[in-house]
Amino acid sequence: MIECRNVSKTFIQKGSQEVPVLEDVSIDVQANEFVVILGPGQSGKSTLLRIIAGLETPTTGTVILDGEPVTGPGADRGLVFQGYMLFPWKTVLGNVEMGPKLCGLPRDEARDIAMHYIDLVGLNGFEKHYPHQLSGGMKQRVGIARAYANKPRVMLLDEPFGQLDAQTRIFMEQETERIWQTDKRTVLFVTNNTDEALFLADRIVTIEGKLPGRVQRTYTVDLPRPRDLTGKHFLEMRREIIDASVLTL
Amino acid sequence: MSQEATCSAASSSIANETVGQVVDRGPISLGRILTNRWFLHTVSIVAFFWLWDWLARSNVLGAGSSVLARPHEVLEQLAVLTREELAELTLWGHVWASTQRVVIGFSIAAAIAVPLGLFMALNRYVNAIVKPLFDLLKPMPPISWISISILWFGIGETSKVFIIVLGTFVPCLLNAYNGVRLVEPELYDVVRMLGGKRRDEILHVCFPASFPAIFAGLQISLSIAWTCVLAAELVSARSGMGYIIVQGMNLSQPAMVIGGMAVIAAAAWGTTLLVTALERKLCPWKRKIVGL
Amino acid sequence: MTAYREVVVRTPLALKILPIVSVATFFIAWEIVVRTGVVPDTMLAAPTTVTQLLFDKFTNVDPDGALLHQHAWVSIQEAFGGYFLALAVGLPLGLAMGWFNVAEGLARPIFEIIRPIPPVAWIPLTIFWFGIGLPGKIFIIWLGGLVPCVINAYVGVKMTNPTLIQMARTYGASDWQIFRQLCIPSALPMVFGALQIALACCWTNLVAAELLAADAGLGFMITMGRRLAMPEMVVLGMFMVGLTGAFIGVIIDRVEKRLLAGIRR
Repeated sequence: MIECRNVSKTFIQKGSQEVPVLEDVSIDVQANEFVVILGPGQSGKSTLLRIIAGLETPTTGTVILDGEPVTGPGADRGLVFQGYMLFPWKTVLGNVEMGPKLCGLPRDEARDIAMHYIDLVGLNGFEKHYPHQLSGGMKQRVGIARAYANKPRVMLLDEPFGQLDAQTRIFMEQETERIWQTDKRTVLFVTNNTDEALFLADRIVTIEGKLPGRVQRTYTVDLPRPRDLTGKHFLEMRREIIDASVLTL
Repeated sequence: MSQEATCSAASSSIANETVGQVVDRGPISLGRILTNRWFLHTVSIVAFFWLWDWLARSNVLGAGSSVLARPHEVLEQLAVLTREELAELTLWGHVWASTQRVVIGFSIAAAIAVPLGLFMALNRYVNAIVKPLFDLLKPMPPISWISISILWFGIGETSKVFIIVLGTFVPCLLNAYNGVRLVEPELYDVVRMLGGKRRDEILHVCFPASFPAIFAGLQISLSIAWTCVLAAELVSARSGMGYIIVQGMNLSQPAMVIGGMAVIAAAAWGTTLLVTALERKLCPWKRKIVGL
Repeated sequence: MTAYREVVVRTPLALKILPIVSVATFFIAWEIVVRTGVVPDTMLAAPTTVTQLLFDKFTNVDPDGALLHQHAWVSIQEAFGGYFLALAVGLPLGLAMGWFNVAEGLARPIFEIIRPIPPVAWIPLTIFWFGIGLPGKIFIIWLGGLVPCVINAYVGVKMTNPTLIQMARTYGASDWQIFRQLCIPSALPMVFGALQIALACCWTNLVAAELLAADAGLGFMITMGRRLAMPEMVVLGMFMVGLTGAFIGVIIDRVEKRLLAGIRR
């Protein structure tokens, strides 16, 4: 479904200093698979997601989506941003129905799709609210609904719950799983939280902690869903991942 | 998790975000009354008018009644002006004359400057052509244009409107320009990810995001417009509030001068409120910003 | 969130040339329009004529009674007199209004009464009170500079991080200590912002004051140019006002940068 082939990225900083961010990253994602990219801050994992989204071009290597190389951003991928990035001048409904409208759907149809996804993320009754009236968790629900409303083949989530408190975060993870189970998509989820990765992922790809980011290991998580955050197997895998990642730091 | 449960959790998190103002209702004491905001406001206003009255009655500022009028004399003068005509116009006629000039000049400037500012922010080449000319003319205060506009257009309406257009042009353009340039760049990424083109970025991000800045510019422009119209009317006019003030000066009637000042303050205040109301209407998303 | 963004180092040549072309075109078009008589020379003077007058005015007193730099010096004196008085009164007042409830309660209503009156409207009263000399003009300019000083200082204090104030309270700081050591420093960027804004206001009002009542100064020169039907003098006056204002602005900007070097976040 998605194939990253030997993707590398080097940024040029002010004063023409080169900063290598990603080096030789190759990842394969199957259809309807939930893949989590796990790595510490500043390891280039967000950049990888932005490359897959088409917002950045890789210095070398290619990203292939359903056999076609990615050349730019498009509606076939839905991106959820870390900082929510809702349009403050649009209501919840306005934000969510924007994608379908931009893709040329008629007004009524766009509205129906938007209402469906607002309902799915549990925000019915808040359609007329403006983003500044919502809490962080609710804002990110809007972000998720907005990405979903375009019916993308791939959902890309960039540390979506990084700004939430621990309790809301766990709740939102459960919600994410529920939404994904209801409306299955291929998901690429970036996080720095091991628990979050283990709770959600079919497969975890860890990225090394130092720049440039390289793929460290891949873990297949075949625990039954919904997962118990304190279950025996869960904790064993958690230890394994943490031990491996601490070594590289 | 059932739908109702998520909903209630969501609404409770809204409640958590609203910070209520806690009013401390302690026992009433003398100190409390003395530092109460409304009490102090009252004291201040009473003291202001009393001091004014005292200054007008005594001869501190100079010889007698031709220097400062007492507050009630100003009110009486204004009442007279609403009944009797000054240069063929009552007070309302003069207010209308000035307001008309402000509205026309302001509208022309906003209609040209705001789109131009947006255009400059969106296109580097337009910016490279317009910006240097703009920088060249910007440091000249609009009031310094009064003389040349009289040379060009005479002392009629055109020259006054011209001054107002010049004065209000600068803040309108600057704010529209900066409004677009200070947009969160990731919002453009959102539009592109949702399948939008450059046109959609401009329509859905640039324009709405620059709205609050544009309105801030309009507010500044408006107060400049009042200054400009007044200056122009002081220099040469046969109607308007500036004319009332000049007549008061020529006739050595401070009551008329102060009356004119009071009316222009009220008019300026009223138009500011109007623009604020318009902004509330057009930008309901904007958070309240606490300020003076 | 990416910490590094690609920086385009190269700007197209056209972007470098266009500003020069645009300014040059402006002046050439102006010259042509006047020379060919499209605009009669009683209404506008060509740039070359204005430049001639500029050099002439350094040595020739006629017809307005003073040399160019004398006019400029008078204006600068008035502007700075009013400006510094506005700073001296407005900034402490604004700071106090921002922190002390009593100060705000007493000063705010009067401030709100005076604020919407354009300073220009005070000119006739000023003439009644002070005549047309220096004090009257300083008063007008002072009024113009006062409002932005008060507003910026007030907003600056109000923007002090409330958590820091609470922190100071838990350490037992008194109101006065918090005001001096917390509110004033955190209001400084806004206060320095006021320096520029107030200067612009002062300069505008200076021209207004001189247009109406003066016997010297750049604004007076503009008025004389109109009365004598000498557009070149009007244009020269306008350019001098702009130039001097911009020049003072640059100086203040420099001073501000130096003073703020350690504070800017």
